[in-house]
This record gives sequence, structure tokens and C-alpha cells, in this order.
Amino acid sequence: MSFFTSAGEVKAVNDVSFHVGKGEVLGIVGESGSGKSAAVLSVMGLKGSAGKITGGSILFDGQDMNSLNMRDIRGRRISMIFQDPMTSLNPVLSVKYQLEESLRRHHWKGDIHARALEMLERVGIVPASERIMQYPHEFSGGQRQRIMIAMAMICEPELLIADEPTTALDVTVQAQILDLMKALQKDSGMSVILITHDLGVIAGMADRILVMYGGQVMEQGTRREIFYSTAHPYTQGLLRSVPNPDSPKERLIPIEGQPPDLLNPPEGCPYVKRCPEAMRICLHRKPENISLSDTHSYSCWLGQKGVK
Amino acid sequence: MLAGAKRGEVIMLLKVENLKKYFGNIRSVDGVSFSIQKGETLGLVGESGCGKTTTGRTIIKLYEPTEGRIIYGGQDITSLTPDEMLSFRKKIQMIFQDPYASLNPRMTAGDIIREAMIIHRIPRDEQQDRVNHLLRLVGLNSEQAGRYPHEFSGGQRQRIGIARALAVEPELIICDEPISALDVSIQAQIVNMLEDLQHELGLTYLFIAHDLSMVRHISSRVAVMYLGRIVELAESEELYASPKHPYTVSLLSSIPIPDPDKSDSRETTALQGEIPSALNPPSGCTFHTRCPKAKPECSMLKTQLADTGNGHFCACPFV
Repeated sequence: MSFFTSAGEVKAVNDVSFHVGKGEVLGIVGESGSGKSAAVLSVMGLKGSAGKITGGSILFDGQDMNSLNMRDIRGRRISMIFQDPMTSLNPVLSVKYQLEESLRRHHWKGDIHARALEMLERVGIVPASERIMQYPHEFSGGQRQRIMIAMAMICEPELLIADEPTTALDVTVQAQILDLMKALQKDSGMSVILITHDLGVIAGMADRILVMYGGQVMEQGTRREIFYSTAHPYTQGLLRSVPNPDSPKERLIPIEGQPPDLLNPPEGCPYVKRCPEAMRICLHRKPENISLSDTHSYSCWLGQKGVK
Repeated sequence: MLAGAKRGEVIMLLKVENLKKYFGNIRSVDGVSFSIQKGETLGLVGESGCGKTTTGRTIIKLYEPTEGRIIYGGQDITSLTPDEMLSFRKKIQMIFQDPYASLNPRMTAGDIIREAMIIHRIPRDEQQDRVNHLLRLVGLNSEQAGRYPHEFSGGQRQRIGIARALAVEPELIICDEPISALDVSIQAQIVNMLEDLQHELGLTYLFIAHDLSMVRHISSRVAVMYLGRIVELAESEELYASPKHPYTVSLLSSIPIPDPDKSDSRETTALQGEIPSALNPPSGCTFHTRCPKAKPECSMLKTQLADTGNGHFCACPFV
């Protein structure tokens, strides 16, 4: 997927393939500009006027998403929660209206108001019958994120996409929201794509993890594979740059250099300029995918035999 | 005073006594006391709205304190006029959170760094050399002096902000969330640089942040704030290994651990509710509305930081 800007084409997501199983939590981790948000926005068909999918396909429940009417899918079978609960709720509409809107849009069979109350209570906003009449500004940041979650889950979606859902929240509130998301996911058996830059959040939440950099997937695997059998130099660098809880005073090992310029991306591996183990071939040719297990793979020339 | 101090002697650089800052009825900082020794890093942590940033800004007198005393190098600077304050501003500098908002987009990196030198009347012929020296000190090069902020990445901008703070050779730097807006891989670069600069230049830091694991890494001592007050203060390792105040305990157990097995096996005490408004703080111990160990008398309790031994201070009398 590319964004066509006045400065040129930005290849935000480049040749990215991944899948999410039923009932699975897939974590996508990456830094700003890594393409983690752009990848899922294109899944939702929310790429904006500058964005264009330039190749590839997206399958949902076996069907090509190009053949589906996204308006019937969004909010019903796939829904999304965003980072900033302040700007993603409409300030001039009551919580009741915003909760019931998607039930009406998707022709919910049953009592719409009762369903809205039930969902609000489920996310811990009580007394629901009173608070449902209120407006977003009457709620705290954490409560607004709870309302967002209620809205996203009200039609019982099969897939929930959460884009940095706790980044704007304080750490004690973050813990509450993560607990709530875990409980709701277990109860409903839905699949979740969780996008975050926080390695701690991803370690606690995800079944499988996708590590992105410069619009490409660097490594993917189960969370134990990613954290304990780390294969890609970028993933290794990322894990080393946060303080080690066992020896917190030890000097940090940063990744040197600056994030890549997506307007002028390197020809080969996007990480080449910052990689401590870069070789000549990394500059010019994109590495192929190396499979380490059924679930674990990474993209790097280091693992390819006979390469210099 | 500082000049007469002997080697190895502990020198109090900054002492804050019962500092209060009210904005109308909002009690942002409500009686904070602590001191910082020369050469140490004091971490100041807490959630949004706890008053940690206001504390930092009041110390440098960007805000006029409502009550209390600020003593720098033995001299009371609480009620100095702006003119008198100028010479102290040279000794106390600040680094801000947002490297995008805290640099003037219409000035070059060199001019941004030079501006502080002009204000503090550093001779013109020395300025250019110092700008170049400072750029190198923060890991940039002198050719970059002519570029504008938008030509730099977030991490590089934060380096310019640090060079600007260093331009007047300060003793104390108030670092207000200096790494929160940066990517994980860049955070470590900046933290390492701050540590190196501290070592080379003998700097003292007040490090304000909400990232508890980074604060643990960089700080010698840590103070935890809740609703305008310090609830606990101790040596960094002591605080993280054996937190005493129920708020600190919950706060530390909420930090996500970047390790799947440890994350699965630990017990969490998720705190209920959110931080109350500073407009109408709870009576008594302000934490009693969320405290998992609250007793009936807590709503009437006058809490105060008390020494529990080894320089470990805690405001909860029941621990």
C-alpha cells in the first residue's frame, strides 16, 4: 500500500503477508513509520484519498475483501478501536446514540437499547442507565476508551483491530483496559489484531507477534519465539534498547542511526543503515524469508547460506 | 556555598520546602518537599495530572509558587525578581517533552542554540565555536547548524533541545519527559547521552517521567507523586525492590514487562478507578478512594512523608 503525497510516493506497506487465526491475538509491533497502522487500515478499507493498495489481496473468512461491501463488514464483522479516545468519539452525540448507531446500521435483531446498556455495563461504566445519556466530555480518558471498546464490540465482531488502544492512557488505567480486553476476547472468542509500540504490552497480550520496520515484516512468530529465540537483528536491537528488569542499571544498547526515510527507501533491506551486521548484499537486494518453524520466520540475509 | 565544599562531601544543590502551586482552585502541587544532591539524578514519577510537570516548572519559576521555598545552592530563590532570576536560569535549564513543539520552526539549529548565549551575554566571538562544540557533544555535526527543525528527526531534535540547554553551562537540568515522544530505539540513544553528559560535565538531573522502567534505570533516587503530593521517596533500587506505599505498589505492578513468562507469572493488583480531579481532591489521604488497603480513618488522615529508615520516606502510616 502506498500514500501518494506532494513529495512523492510513500511505500507505507511493502509486500506484507500475515494471517490471523480464529480466536487468536496477533500483535503487530513497530516504531513510528513502520507501517503497522497502514497495514490494518488497508484491511479495513480505510486508506483515505491519498492511499492506494498497489498490489496483493486480503481474504476474510475465505472471501476476497474486494468483493465484499466494506460498509456491511465494518462495525459488524470487523471493528476497530483507535489510540485517542478523545478524538474518535463524536463530542456532540450522546453515548447512547453512538452505541446504538451501529446496531441500527447493521439491523440488530433484538432490543437495541437493552443491548447498548448491557455492553456499557460489561465494560464497567455504571450505572449504565444513567451514564448512557451523557456525552463524551463527561467521561475520563479511561472511560472513553471503555466506551470505544463497547462500541466496537456491540455487534459481536469476529475480528477486532486495536490500534495503540492504551498508548494515551496512564499506566494504572492501561492495566485496567488490557485486563478488560483480555476478558472480552476470552468470553467472545473473537480474533484480535493488537498494534502497539510497547514491548511490554505485546508480551502480555499477544499469541503471535509480527515485527515491522520500514513498511516490511522483519520477523514473525509466537511470542515465545520472538522474545526467547529472537532471529532478526532489528528485533534483537529493539529488545536490547529497553532496560533489563533483572539489571536495571546496566547501560542500554540503542539502535544507532535514524528511522528510514520512506520517500527514499533503501533498495535492499529497510534496516540496512542501522543494522550492526549489515553486509554488502543487504544494500541492494531484499532478503528472502527464512522459515525456522511452522510459526517462526524472518527476513534477513544473515541466515542465508553462502552470502557475503 | 558550593565553592567551599570538600571532595566527596554531599552537597545539596536544590532544596524544595513545602512547595505549593495552585491555579485558581486547582491544587496542582500541594506541599512538596525534597532535595537534590549535586551530581545525582532524582526521578519524579506519577500519572498525568499528578503535578510532576508543574513541580518542575515552578522550580525554574516559569510559574510563581503559591507557597513554600525553593533554595538553590544555599540561596532562597523563591521571591527573586525576573532580573535577579536571570543568573539562576543560567544554572538551571530545562529539556522539554515534545521536540516538535519546543523548537522554533523558523530558526536554524545553530540560532536556537545561540539564542541562549545571547540572552546570557556570552561574548559574540565565542558563540560560533561553542555552537559547533555543543552540536558535536550531542552527536550532531557542525554542518547541521544551518538546518531548520523540520529537517531533523524526532531524536535529532531532542538532541538540539539538549544542546540548547547545555549552551549556558548549567548545573541542574530539569528533564520533563525528555524521551516520551520518541521511538523505543531512539529513547535508549538519548538516555545514554544524558548519562554520558552527566558524567563528563558533572550535571545534576531532575528527571520527570511516567515511564517507570526508564526512571529506574537513570535515577539514583525516585519520588512518586499522587495528586500534587509526594507519597514515597527512596533510593531507586530500594523503591523498586520494596515499595511501601500502596500507590507505588500498584503503580509498579501495572508496568507491562517485556518478557512473556514473567508477564504471565506475576501477580497484578489492578487499581480501580482513575486519578481524581485536583479541583476537588478527596479528604484525608488523597489516595484513599482507590487504595486497596484503605481503612475508614484514611479519609480523615493528615498524611505526611515520614522516614522509615535508610532514607526511605513514605506517606502512608500503615506500612
